[in-house]
Amino acid sequence: MAKKESKLSLAQKEQRTAYKLLIPALIILAAVAFYPLFEVFYTSFTDRVFASGTDDAPDFIGIENYKSLLGLTIQQLPPIIDPNTGDPVIDSQTGRQTYERPVRVLPRTPVRYREWFQFSFLGKRYVVGARDPEFMKAIWNTLVFTFVSVFLETVLGLGVALVVNSHFKGKGVMRATMLVPWAVITVVSARIWEWMLQPTRAGLFNMVLSRLGLGDGSLSFLSMPNLQMPTLIAVDVWKTTPFMALLILAGLQLIPKELYEAGRVDGAGRLRQFLSITLPLLKPTLAVALIFRTLDALRAFDVFQVLMGNRMYSMASYNYYQLIGNRNMGLASAIGVIIFIFIAVFAVIYMRLMGVDKE
Amino acid sequence: MKKNQTAFRIAGKVAFWILVVFIFFYMLFPFYWAVNSSLKSEAQLQMTPATFLPVDSSGKLAPTLRNYVAIFNDGTFVRALWNSTIVAGLTTLLALSVGSFAAFAMGKLRFKGKKATLYLILSLTMFPQITVLSGLYAVITTLNLGARLSLILSYMIFTLPFTTWVLTAFFKELPAEIMQSAWVDGATPFQTFYMILLPLTAPAMVTSGLLAFIAAWNEYIFALTFTTIAPQARTIPVAISLFTGTIARQVPFGEIMAGAVVVTVPVVIMVFIFQKRIVEGLTAGAVKG
Repeated sequence: MAKKESKLSLAQKEQRTAYKLLIPALIILAAVAFYPLFEVFYTSFTDRVFASGTDDAPDFIGIENYKSLLGLTIQQLPPIIDPNTGDPVIDSQTGRQTYERPVRVLPRTPVRYREWFQFSFLGKRYVVGARDPEFMKAIWNTLVFTFVSVFLETVLGLGVALVVNSHFKGKGVMRATMLVPWAVITVVSARIWEWMLQPTRAGLFNMVLSRLGLGDGSLSFLSMPNLQMPTLIAVDVWKTTPFMALLILAGLQLIPKELYEAGRVDGAGRLRQFLSITLPLLKPTLAVALIFRTLDALRAFDVFQVLMGNRMYSMASYNYYQLIGNRNMGLASAIGVIIFIFIAVFAVIYMRLMGVDKE
Repeated sequence: MKKNQTAFRIAGKVAFWILVVFIFFYMLFPFYWAVNSSLKSEAQLQMTPATFLPVDSSGKLAPTLRNYVAIFNDGTFVRALWNSTIVAGLTTLLALSVGSFAAFAMGKLRFKGKKATLYLILSLTMFPQITVLSGLYAVITTLNLGARLSLILSYMIFTLPFTTWVLTAFFKELPAEIMQSAWVDGATPFQTFYMILLPLTAPAMVTSGLLAFIAAWNEYIFALTFTTIAPQARTIPVAISLFTGTIARQVPFGEIMAGAVVVTVPVVIMVFIFQKRIVEGLTAGAVKG
């Protein structure tokens, strides 16, 4: 009986020690993660201004911040009719029909909508107006950036991992080399690329391209709208492909060599071995790597902020701009919540698709 | 037939080596370009077309250390280097010590609510820190700790869950017998922890510590936001992103490239030395997680 009692108290002691050991970590995480998260949710429903200098308590304004970020409207653009002939006016330069300017169609009261983009559907022209087109573009940019860069990084990372996984002299050097882009600070890599992308032939890319007879030696990669996104993606792919390759390499090394021998005995060629052995067994690794990278790319900030500044936003850099540039803490908090929801949704989708949670 | 096969094999080998060389250059070239540019004078930098080596207008090799001298004479860069070292170093220490306590509890002790705690920590490793930017700013202004301490505290959000997670996995794998024999000898759980288990975890500590250090060394958005009103606390990423140079003129890319080289070389050396550990840590955080 006495023995049992002391055993029980030993277990209790163990439990008490465990709680004591956990307390510091939990206090810190409560201070830097849970409380701020709660604060962000709460503030997103207020009109709090950062460092306002007054002691006025912020007003509770319901979902007004969310409305002003996400408010959308679709309006039809009427064709411009020539008052004399009654025919629609055709642009003499493009040969296309002309339409009313969006500014005149989009509602201004009680709140103003500005043009996000236009599209044609069933022969009619429409304009999509947003209360905050900048934020809409930021969401769109972030999604495009995420999908394309993660896709390229996975494909390239798989290629690099397969190369480095085979036996050749200098394998060790290659594996070390792969860590270099990863070890470079993201901001630093963005500035190195900014310099390589200078819009004169003092920049590497313009120098090389003009030697190859492409471009006029003054392509401005960072300010031409159709070059901005590809440039951002290229910078991110350089920096992050090694990380993908490392994760995939670790996955490759978990695949038992005997399987390949068995495959060879059965007469499977290299490609067949890759498709029937490597890829299926690599699926869990790829899944985890994809989740990590996607969640990371959705909150991309460094590359956008350094290379684009106020020319183009990601969700995260728009959040920063609203908080520091506009001191609009309520709105910034709402953006934070929206990013949180985006990331949570992606995490759940990925885990369902890849069956990671079944483990 | 046989001849054909060998030709095929050689072609394959050549293609493979071309690929290897291509990957090698792709990974290293931007950094090479930074080194090359950092050794050029302002005039050499503006020379068109740009050259692959720091040469003067007559084509003779003429590297200069002017940019390096300039950044080290400029207080901003040195201060940022110091700030980054302090912030990343203390972040690592704090994340490792607090993390190893929690990890020992979760890896080796029995207590109620263990599973919930484990899930909590795991979900926090994926926590989007950008979400809490404005909330955290409010917290640190309330605490009024000063910018550098605030940064260290806020970096716990991404380092602490990670170190805890990696170390928990490590503690779990340590044989239970070690602990039991210590308990038989009358050691308390806490003594068992710091006298017996802690020395054994040194390899895992190095691994997760390195990754925590690099993550903190790299961090930009918190550093940029929280040092808005405290320029003297700016870390390397902030300083490099805002670099305007000592003399008012165009963006001083020579000095920026010199700064880039100075802050990258130590990390690259460290990464090469601990290559194996880092890869282990990265994959422990992702593949097994």
